[in-house]
Parts: sequence; structure tokens; C-alpha cells
Amino acid sequence: MIRFLLNRVAGMVVVLFLVCLFTFVIFFVLSPDPAVQVCGKNCTTEAIDQIRANLGLDRPFWTQFWTFLSGLFAGRTYGTGANAVECAAPCLGYSFQSSQPVTDMIVQRLPVSATVAIGAAVLWLLAGVTAGLVSAVREGRFADRFIAGLTLTGMSIPNYVLALALQFLLVVTLRWLPFPHAVPFGEDPVQWFMNFLMPWIVLAIGAAAVYTRLTRANVIETLQENYVRTARAKGLGPGLVWRRHALRPALTPIVTIFGMDFASLLGGALITETVFGLNGIGKLAADSITKNDQPVIMGVTLLAAFLVVVGNMVVDLLYTAIDPRVRVGSAT
Amino acid sequence: MSEALLRVRGLTVAFPTASGPGEVVKALDLDLDRGGSLGIVGESGSGKSMTSLAIMGLLPKGATRSGSIEFAGTELTALRERAMRAVRGDRIAMVFQDPLSSLNPYYTVGTQIAEAYQAHRRGVTRRQARRVAIAAMERVHIEDAARRVDHYPHQFSGGMRQRVMIAMTLSMEPELIIADEPTTALDVTVQAQILDLLAEIRADTGAGLILITHDLAVVSEVADRIVVMRDGDLVESGTAERIFTDPREPYTRMLLEAVPRIDDEIGLLRTTAGEAES
Amino acid sequence: MTDAPGTLLRARNLVKEFDVRGGGLFGRSARLRAVDDVSLDVRRGETLALVGESGCGKSTTARLIARLVDTTAGTIEFDGREVQALTGKDLHAFRSEVQVVFQDPYSSLNPKHTVERIVTAPLVYQRRPIPGGARAYTGALMERVGLDPDHSTRFPAQFSGGQAQRIGIARALAVAPKMIIADEAVSALDVSVQAQVINLLRRLQDEEGFSCLFIAHDLAVVRQIATRVAVMNGGRIVETGDRDQVFDTPKDPYTRKLLAAVPRIRPEWDAARRRNEAARRAREQEDAQR
Repeated sequence: MIRFLLNRVAGMVVVLFLVCLFTFVIFFVLSPDPAVQVCGKNCTTEAIDQIRANLGLDRPFWTQFWTFLSGLFAGRTYGTGANAVECAAPCLGYSFQSSQPVTDMIVQRLPVSATVAIGAAVLWLLAGVTAGLVSAVREGRFADRFIAGLTLTGMSIPNYVLALALQFLLVVTLRWLPFPHAVPFGEDPVQWFMNFLMPWIVLAIGAAAVYTRLTRANVIETLQENYVRTARAKGLGPGLVWRRHALRPALTPIVTIFGMDFASLLGGALITETVFGLNGIGKLAADSITKNDQPVIMGVTLLAAFLVVVGNMVVDLLYTAIDPRVRVGSAT
Repeated sequence: MSEALLRVRGLTVAFPTASGPGEVVKALDLDLDRGGSLGIVGESGSGKSMTSLAIMGLLPKGATRSGSIEFAGTELTALRERAMRAVRGDRIAMVFQDPLSSLNPYYTVGTQIAEAYQAHRRGVTRRQARRVAIAAMERVHIEDAARRVDHYPHQFSGGMRQRVMIAMTLSMEPELIIADEPTTALDVTVQAQILDLLAEIRADTGAGLILITHDLAVVSEVADRIVVMRDGDLVESGTAERIFTDPREPYTRMLLEAVPRIDDEIGLLRTTAGEAES
Repeated sequence: MTDAPGTLLRARNLVKEFDVRGGGLFGRSARLRAVDDVSLDVRRGETLALVGESGCGKSTTARLIARLVDTTAGTIEFDGREVQALTGKDLHAFRSEVQVVFQDPYSSLNPKHTVERIVTAPLVYQRRPIPGGARAYTGALMERVGLDPDHSTRFPAQFSGGQAQRIGIARALAVAPKMIIADEAVSALDVSVQAQVINLLRRLQDEEGFSCLFIAHDLAVVRQIATRVAVMNGGRIVETGDRDQVFDTPKDPYTRKLLAAVPRIRPEWDAARRRNEAARRAREQEDAQR
């Protein structure tokens, strides 16, 4: 068991290291000289050299990478002497555009993205699993077919179309919702809720459709299992057969994909946040891409990768807790 | 003076097919005395497994059952699902072919043995149920039962899993055990142990046994009455000795000729009555 | 090593180990020895049965001999040639000289190919001419394994389990092999069908003279078909001998345990049945004469 955990953690460290390396190569080695971009239009060769020295771009690749890595864990100092700027860990550098620390920019926007992600996740999990269960129980009947139609629709509508359509319908035509604008939860909870409702729905619908299908398929398959027949042969009531012998095996695989989906959503919903003007990480990414703000793009990429890797790890651990076949070795 | 434990008359099981209902069991009659053992023999598709599920009231969705199944004086076909549930597992218990897939991988064997007991005995504490589970496991000769009760099915070998399945039926002291190909997935040495165990349990508890199998040699060692089935039809029934010494139907004769024997002359195995190879 | 006359296959000290890795960086890697120092001979025209319980290594041994997996150690000599050293054309030839019939006929026959295509595939693969054309050749083979030659354009799914296994045998026969490896070839079949396939294999072997390595767990079946028997347990051969010697006077305790566990129909019942059967036939003959 401990060996298993060590394995997972070690694997995670290796993956994260590789992620850092690749991101670093892509953003600092393969892209156009960052110093030129920082410097702006009217720029002298000396100024560029000065910036290069400041950013450490004049040093060999591995030294740069090492400085970058240690910056993540211990912070780093840009420049020397009086001009020195202390960047505390985890240091992701400074934005070329606003000169703000990238870490701060991300931290500021994290709550919005987290709110979007958590709300959407709760919504799609509830809707998806419920619809899936109903579908499985009423297999082949009207409810099942109706839900199948809905899921097909849900899966085929692109996010941005749905976002714009909802906005047009609920805000412009029906005027049920105000135009989204950020309101802190403490100020006006209702307004806050209204504000996030549309992004939640938009993000949840596609995933809910997938979860519906998955739940339905898993439950129907599990009900065919021999051990469900055994449970019935023991004279257990339908409630117990369902709860204990059908649901747990059927819902376990959902945990796996849920962890991954949630983690990647936490790293920002690019389109949805942009459409609804939510100042989250997705919007930050979109903005920094248009402005070619390399440190920010890189920071966001690293964060997303980190969340996915950690999400994966959490899923693995959860799976271990849920499935005894993983937890305990076989035949003694 | 023997008393009837199970009396089946005209049992028919049908599945809807494109060309009307297809009967997989046709007008079957079975009789089993209290404490007796009945072997149902047939090749694949003979309807022998459907017969057992029909008795348990566990037919797959869409299947229909007609005829009479009288168990210890009660007409099972007339029982509502709730009353049938009280019979299932408590008075009639079943052992299935593949013990690994028949046990839920997510729960310890102890939980799975105990839940049957808890379902049928009101007001049983967890501790009591656990004690019953351990006792049942000891009775099927699983060593170190007090520790093994907390293990999961995948931690047992094939033969041990089948012992767990049998322990599950035992905890309720059923009047009838239906074993559907209980040793087919097992190695021959393990098969011998499981058959011995079933015999021992019958001797101890006086439970009746229905053994469903394709293996004539196995059934000859276990059953005192035999029913031969083919394509849903009852071909022939009688005492084991009569069927094995004086089979009347050509199909039964062919089956008996086709069984390779370990202590018989070596020659062409007869596959249809009178003819060596089709 | 001299080739004793009449020995077709000679396997010496075969070992096969598999890696069982724990996975990940700290995974404990273990080696499982599935086949442990196995030596066996198959003589020309005989059937050597390799028997044992599940996991004893009998199927792995068969795969090593057919060169479907590589050996960890040991030598295999087939018809005077070193099997592991074969390459190119020689390996091609070996593949047609040794044919394998598997347990599950459906999964070993391509469901999308007709019988004709399945049966002639080994010849096509060998780039050999099909004597008399594919249709006629397939028809002749199907007749020999007891199938209707008119069904040569059907697909495997249109046949019963026993018939599908006959197709597998026909495919093996198509290239006139020197040895057939039957890996639990009759285990999944119903008893009446099993008997038919056993009889078929026996008859074909008489006619063609191929050798057979018969892998099985059912001792009663083995007794009906084997010339010699090798008993495996835990990756090793514990006993080898002529059939009657192994069944009547087994030397190894494991063989004795295995034999004792086989379920039996009481011999006195069988004897009575045979008496009754003879009497019944006599009666029928009398009735017919009257």
C-alpha cells in the first residue's frame, strides 16, 4: 500500500518536472526573444542587453531552467544591486504587459474560476447521474428515449453557441437574468448566483450529457452481473440490491472521469469565461495569448498541467479507497 | 416415509422472439423428496439452468413462466415477490457456476455471507451476523475463518471462492440447495473436494439438493434421482441406478456412450445410438 | 545430439519465465517461472498428451513448441532442425508443418471470412498452389472432417461449436502438417460433440500419420486419445509414460491424486448397462426377423 502511494507520488513528480521542462522550452527557447518584447518599440541594443541580463536570458539553457525551477520553489531575484526585485515563491515571473507578478494575477482570478468549476461540476454531476439512473431504470421506455434525445442535443451543441444563445434568450429577450457582471457573494448573494448561473449551465450541459450516458451504460451493465443475481438469490430486497450491489460498482468509474474533468475545468474555462466576461483564469489566458504575454501564458499552462496531474493523483487515491481489488493484493 | 419437498408440474419458460414466444423449458415435471438429491443433466441449450432460475423466480427480464412449482406444500408461482423473497436464500439457496463473478468484488466475503442472514432474521446485530459468517466459513472448512472473513473475493482461490458461496447458502440452513454447475469452472482435484463438501452438508443438515450439470460422471456420484433434458424437453427421468444401467431413450443412451471413461475399454466413442461418428 | 529414429519433436530443458512487474518506479519486479525445465519427445505418428490442472504450464509449453512465444532457456528440435534458430523460409516451412487447434473455435476463426478463405489461408500464406482450385479443395477437406462441402461459403458464426472446431481442424489439415498441437481443443464442447471430435482426430491421425501434442485437463478424454502421457504440475513434468502405465500404475503421487479425483460412473452400472444394451439389441433383432 505504501509502495503504491510512493509510486504514485514519484510518478507525479516526474510528470510535473517534464511539464515544467516542456513549457519552459516552448515559451522561452522556441518563442521570439522575450527581451525584445519587454523592451517595446523604441529600444536600444544596450537596453535589450540590460533586460536580457535582468531576465537571465544570457546564461546557458540549463542554468536558466534551474533558476526558473528554483524560482517556483524558493523564489528568485531579478537583476542585481539597487535594481534587484525579489520575486517570492512560487515565482512565475512578471507580466510583460502590466509588470505584475504572474502568481498574483493567477491567485486573484482563481476564486472566479473555482466558483465556475465547482458550480458547474455540482450541476452536471447531479443532472448527469440522476438522468442516467432514470434512463437505466426505465430502459427502453419513454423517459429513456427522451433523455437519450436530450443528451444527444447536449453533446452536439458547441459551448460558445450555447453561451450566446442562452445570453440572448435569458438576458436580451426574456430579461430573466441581468447581464452578467461580477458581484461579490457577500454583497448580494442573489445577484452573485444569477451572475454565475449561465456559465454553470453552459459548462454543465455537455458534461452532464456524457455523464448521463456513462451512468446509464454502467448501471445497465452492472445489473447484468452475476453478483447481482447472487444478491437477489439471497433474498435481498430491491433497495439493498440496488444500493449495495448495483450502484457502487456502477458509479465507481464516474469518480475517475469526474476528477479529471473537474481538475481541467479548474484551470480555466477559456470560451465560457470570455463570453460571459468573467475575470477568471480562462479569460486571463485568452487575454495574454492575444497580447503574447509569455510569462502569463506559461503560468496559466503550468497551473492547468499541475491541476490535471494532481487531479489524476487524487482519482488514483480515491480509486484505491473504493476498489478493494486495487487496495489489497490478490490471493494469499 | 419420504415427504415431497419439491413438486414441479408442467413448468414452461418462454422468451419472446421475433417468431412468437420461444420455449426454452417445455412442460417439465420434477419431484424431489425431503433430503433427496436430484440431478438435472443436459448439454448446452437444454434449458437446465433456466429451470433452476424459474424455481427461484429469478428469470431474466422478458421471460415468462407457467405451470406449477410446489415447494414444501406452498405454491411458489402464486407467491407475491415479497413472499418469494422470504423463501429465496432462506429456504431455497443457490450456488452458481462461476464463484468469482458471482461474488461482488467490492465487499468482503464476510459482508456477503452476513447480509443474507441479516435480510432474513430481523433484529440481528452486525456482530451476531459476523459470528454466523465465521461459523459458516468454518463449516465449509475455510481455515483461519476469523481472519479470512474480512478478505475480499479476489483474495481467494477458485475452490475457496466456491466454498464461500456454499457458506453463504449454509448460514440460513435452507431446506433446498440448487447448485448450477458448481464445479465446472474448477480443477478436477478441487471439484472432488467441493462435491465431498456438498455431500457432507446434506448429511449434516438434511437439505435437499438439485445438482445441475453437463457431467454425467459427476451426477452419477451425487444424485439419487436423475432428469435428462434436451432442448427444453424432459427426455427421461428415474433413479440414478435405473438411468445409468437401463437408459430407455436413445438420447440418454447416446449421452452415456459418449462420455469418455477413465476406467473403461478404449475404442470409438459412440456419439449417436448405434453409430460411431456422424 | 543424435536424432533417434521416429522422434519428430525433441524438447529439452525448456524454461519460460514471465516478468510480473509491480508497475511504477518502485514496483517490485518478480519473475514467474511458468515452465520449469520441461523435456519431452513426440514420436512420429503418436499422440503425446500433456495433462495438468489450470496454471500448470501446459499451454505455455505448447506455445513454446509452436514458437508462438520465445523460450527463456532450453532447446526445441523439430524434424532434425533447431526451432529457435529458424528464420525466413525455414520458419515459414515450420509454421506449416506444425499446426495449432485452439480451445475456442469461434475466437480463433476470423468471423468475417468464409470457410473457404479460412481453410485455404495457410496455403495462400505459404504461396503454395491450391490443388484442384480453392472450392474443390475446401470441399474435399470439409468432407473429410465431416462437414457439408456445400457450406464452404458460409461464415463461422453459422456453424455450431463442434462444427466450428471441425473447421479449425480442416484448416490445420490443409497444409498436410507433420504435427498438430491441440490446445484444449475439445474442452469447451458438449459431451456428444466432444466424442465426435475425438473420434475425428483419431481417424484423421490414422489416415494422415501426423503426430499430435494434445493439451488437456480432462484425464478421461486423454485416456481415449493418447499414446503416451506427460503429467505437469507447477511448471514441471512430474511423470511421463505410456498411457496404460500412467493410468494403471502411476508412479508420481500427484498423478495418483489427479486420477483419484476424476469422477467416475460406477463400473458395475456400466457393466449392467452393457448387458441390458446387448439384450435390447438381441430383442430388436429378433423382432425384426419375425
